[in-house]
Amino acid sequence: MAPKLSLKICHLYPDLMDTYGDTGNIITLQKRCEWRGIKTNVSSISAGKDIKEDFDFFFFGGGQDKTQLIVAHDLQKKKHSIKIAVENGSVLLSVCGGYQLLQNYFKTKDGEIIKGIGLFDAYTEGSNDRMIQNLLIKISPDLENKIKETYPVTQSASHPVTQLIGFENHSGKTYLGKNVNPLGIVIKGAGNNGQDQTEGAIYKNAFGCYLHGSLLPKNPHFADYLIAKALERRYGIVNLKALDDSIEWQAHNQSVKITRSRG
Amino acid sequence: MDLRFHIALLIGKITALILKLKGSGATAAPGLYALNIDPDFVKKFSKQITNGSIIICGTNGKTTTSRIVSDLLSTKYKIIHNRQGSNLLRGLASTLINNSSFLGKVDCNIALWEIDEAVLPQVIKDTNPKTLVLLNLFRDQLDRYGEVDSIRKSWQTMLLNLPKTTQVILNEDDPGIKYLEKFARGKITTFGIEDKKVNLPQTTNVSDIKQCPNCSAKLIHTSIFSAHIGHYTCTSCSLKRTTPIISASNLIFERGFKTSIQLTLDNQKLSLNLNIPGLYNVYNILAASAVSYNENLDGKFIKNKLQQFSSAFGRYQKFNVNGKEIIVFLIKNPTGANEILKTISLEAKLNILVILNDKIADGRDVSWIWDTNWEIISKKVSNIFISGSRSWDLANRLKYAGFKLSNKYVYKQINYSIRRGIASLNNKDTLLVLPTYTALLETQKILSKLSRQEKWHQN
Repeated sequence: MAPKLSLKICHLYPDLMDTYGDTGNIITLQKRCEWRGIKTNVSSISAGKDIKEDFDFFFFGGGQDKTQLIVAHDLQKKKHSIKIAVENGSVLLSVCGGYQLLQNYFKTKDGEIIKGIGLFDAYTEGSNDRMIQNLLIKISPDLENKIKETYPVTQSASHPVTQLIGFENHSGKTYLGKNVNPLGIVIKGAGNNGQDQTEGAIYKNAFGCYLHGSLLPKNPHFADYLIAKALERRYGIVNLKALDDSIEWQAHNQSVKITRSRG
Repeated sequence: MDLRFHIALLIGKITALILKLKGSGATAAPGLYALNIDPDFVKKFSKQITNGSIIICGTNGKTTTSRIVSDLLSTKYKIIHNRQGSNLLRGLASTLINNSSFLGKVDCNIALWEIDEAVLPQVIKDTNPKTLVLLNLFRDQLDRYGEVDSIRKSWQTMLLNLPKTTQVILNEDDPGIKYLEKFARGKITTFGIEDKKVNLPQTTNVSDIKQCPNCSAKLIHTSIFSAHIGHYTCTSCSLKRTTPIISASNLIFERGFKTSIQLTLDNQKLSLNLNIPGLYNVYNILAASAVSYNENLDGKFIKNKLQQFSSAFGRYQKFNVNGKEIIVFLIKNPTGANEILKTISLEAKLNILVILNDKIADGRDVSWIWDTNWEIISKKVSNIFISGSRSWDLANRLKYAGFKLSNKYVYKQINYSIRRGIASLNNKDTLLVLPTYTALLETQKILSKLSRQEKWHQN
C-alpha cells in the first residue's frame, strides 16, 4: 500500500511579512493537497524562533519596509538552516520582500546596505520608481518542461502552462548574478528591474519572484509543480491526481486578458 | 475682485451644468477644471465659512461618520458637506461650486469634509480646520497609496503644522492613531470601546501594526477587535491604551442588523439602540459623538439623533424591489470586508452577490481578497452570485474558502447578476450585495432604477 503522503510546510514570518495577500499561497498548497488526500502541517516560524524541523516547503512573503528590517536581522540566525534545507532539496517560494532578503544584499535609496543570506546570487537596489502593475511572464524553458511533466497531462494540453500571472508592487530593482537563473522572461510589466526583461530567480528548488496576486491560486500548474517537488524529496516521484481546475484557469485567463489589454 | 477665482468658478459652474444636462454622475470634474485655473480655489472659499471646517479622515468609516456628524450638527449649523464621498481636493471644489452663487457666495457657516487619507496633509491646509477626526489607518489599495507607515509619517508632520486652535479627535483603540497624540498641538479628544470582548466571530487577523509605532518594540494586545484595533500596551515605552473620554460598552450585535451599546460621554451614560450593524459602525458612532460632545450638544439630543440614523450611501443601504429586500455593503479593503463578513455571519442564511472590479478607484491589485476571511460565511450561504471585471479571481477565492459553487454563478454583466440575484430570492429572503467602489456606483444606478428610488447623486 502506498504510504500516506504528508508535507511539512514552514511559513516564515507570517506575522511580519503578510502584506499583499500572499497568504493565498499557503491556502492553495493546503487545499490542493487536501483534495488529493495529502496531509499538510503548516508551522509559523517568526522572529526569535529557530527552524528545528525538517521542512519540505518554505514560504516567505512580502512585508512593509519597517518590518522588513526586523526580519532581515532575525533571518541571519536562520541562514544556515534555510540554506541546508534548500541544498537538500526542500522547496522554497519567496515573494517580493521575502525574495529580496534571500539575496546577497539590499541597498536602500540612502545607500544603506541590508545584508541578505545569499541563497540567491542576486542583489536589490532601492529606486524611486514604484513598479505597480499586473505582471505576466513566460516561464524559463527548463522549468516549463519540468512543469509539464508534473502538472497532470490532460490539463497541460488545454491550458497556457507556459506563463505565470500576478501583480507586482515594488520599488527595489533586482539584478541577478551568475549562479542563478531567472524564473522567467517578462511579457508585460517590469519584473526584476524593468530593464533586462528577467523576472524572479531559481536556485535548485528555491524560487523568488515579484508575483503577488496571490500567485499560486491562479497558477495551478506552478502550485502543483511545487507540491510535486516537495513530495519528491521524501517519497520519490509522485504522480499527482488531476483536479478540476476550470475556475483556476478562468481566473488565470481573465487576469492575462486584462494584463495584455491594459497592463 | 479676484479675476482668477471668478473665472475658475464660472468654468466650474458651466461644467457642472453640462454634466447635469447629460445626467452624468461625475462629481469631481467641475472642481478639477476650477482648480486647474485657480489652485487656491478651495482656500479662497474657505475664508468665508465663518466656523471653519470639520475634517473626517481614516481608511474606513469616513463617509458614514461624516453623514452622522451632518445629522447631529444640522440644527446648530448650516453645513456644506461633500456627502457623495468625492474626497480629493477636486471633490471639495465641486461641492463648493454646486452650493455657491455665481458671485461665489456660499450660504453656510461650517464645512464638513471627508478627506482621502493620502491627500489629507495637502488638502487640510486649504480648509481652515476647526476639528480634525482621525478614525483609523489600515492597508487599503497599496497599489495606489503606498504603505500604511508612510501615510502615518505624513500625518505626523501635518499635525505639527496645524494651528493650536484645531481640535483633534483620535481613535484610542488604534495604536497607530494613538501614537499621533504627541504630535497634536490643539485640544485632544479620544474615543474607543471599553468592552474586553465582542460577540462577533474572530477572523484570521490582518494586522498592519505589529511593533510599537513609537519605539518598534513588541506591542501586546490584551483585546483585539479588528486588525490592530483593540486594547494594547507597548512592552518597552509608555505607549498604551488608556480610558478614552468618549466610549462605548456593553456592545450587543443581533440578527437583523441591530446593535445596542452604552455610550459614555465623559461623565454621562446613555443606552442606545442603533439601526446600523457591525463593530465598525460603533466606531463611526463614537467619532461622531466626540465631535458633538466638543460642540456642546445635549446628551439626549445626541442619543435621539444616533438612534434615528440608518445608513449612508452604499454602506448598509437598503432597497426594495417588488417587495424583496436588498442590502448593499461596500467592500474595499481586507479590514473593512472582514468586518462586514463578521457582521453578516450572524444571520441564519445568506443570499449574496459579490462584485469585484479592478479599476483605479477599486485598486488594480485584487490580492486583498486573500486577506479576507470568506471562510467564516461559507457554511451559511444558500445562494452565491459573482460579477465584476475580476469575477473569476473572486470565484477562485471562494472555491478555496470552501464555498459550494454551482455552474451558473459568475456573470459578466453586473446588471444581469443583480437581476438574477433578486430573481433567486424566496419571499422573505434578503439579497446582500457586496460591491467594490466602482461596482457600487453601477449597483446603485441599477437598484435605484429597479426600486425607483431617487438617483443617489440628487440626494
